[in-house]
Amino acid sequence: MSIPTHDVGTTLPELALELDRTTIVAAAIASQDFEDVHHDPGKAAERGTPDIFMSINSSNGFVDRYVTDWTGPRGRIASVSLRLGVPAFPGDTLRLNGEVLAVDGDRTTIKVVGSNDRGPHVTAEVVVVPTGGVR
Amino acid sequence: MVEPDLSAYVGLEAEPPRVARYAVNEAMIRNWVEAHDDHNPVYVDDEAARATGRPGIVAPPAMVSTWVMAGLRRYREIQHRRATGETEDFAYARMLRELDDAGYTSVVATNVEQTYHRELVPGDHVTCHFTIESVSEPKQTGLGRGLFLTLLKRYVDQHGEALVDERFRLLRFNPGGAA
Repeated sequence: MSIPTHDVGTTLPELALELDRTTIVAAAIASQDFEDVHHDPGKAAERGTPDIFMSINSSNGFVDRYVTDWTGPRGRIASVSLRLGVPAFPGDTLRLNGEVLAVDGDRTTIKVVGSNDRGPHVTAEVVVVPTGGVR
Repeated sequence: MVEPDLSAYVGLEAEPPRVARYAVNEAMIRNWVEAHDDHNPVYVDDEAARATGRPGIVAPPAMVSTWVMAGLRRYREIQHRRATGETEDFAYARMLRELDDAGYTSVVATNVEQTYHRELVPGDHVTCHFTIESVSEPKQTGLGRGLFLTLLKRYVDQHGEALVDERFRLLRFNPGGAA
């Protein structure tokens, strides 16, 4: 068994991430992103947002995690197309939900939406293949 | 305000190829997976990774840009040059200077598309080639008036083999110009 049995319309279990300030800062620094909007609330306010917000690379990383939490370690992400909506701030709960959009041979396309109380923060399409599958 | 005409930048190499400061490595991978609280064992456990058909641990796919980040010292140098009005001699720096001068000083990323040709493994030495793909007309957005910049990034290994192709879009906006 490679990744869980699925078909178009299969839904992935929800992941509710409690985004505290430390998570947002740690993820930005782990990606070597030192832009002040990801760690300095005062600078973020000067630049037009009410607080620091999660970086796009961190959002991408959480989408990876969400998909491979479902596939298990035999899933390999082949591509992602991701767009950001409302920002993700400290104190938000980011709720990730996913649904299988397409199955083409061993390539499975999953739509992932991560939303907070203000609306969708991240909307992504992720193609995942089993390891050892056709590249 | 005179709007900058940035059409001449489209299609240009944005900056010199960016060569990773260090090889893909387990320490940076661990920092990332702990920050994302990701328990996928293929990032940290060679044996678990081999059980999936991989040669050993791999890097999380979204980490690809991390490997070519310039580091804090270089980041501070860029911010200092920006503050003092000094512009480095490559297309992206000149374009950002024009945007700064026109008041489009704030930045937010909006889209990323990445195609992963293979998983990165410790020892890979990444180089990234940046191209300016497009620049939008100035338009009113929820954050203020701004322009969308789209960059193409081609990541290759030390042998020149393709690792990841990326399209990255960001908005440069005037923080004082919210609707």
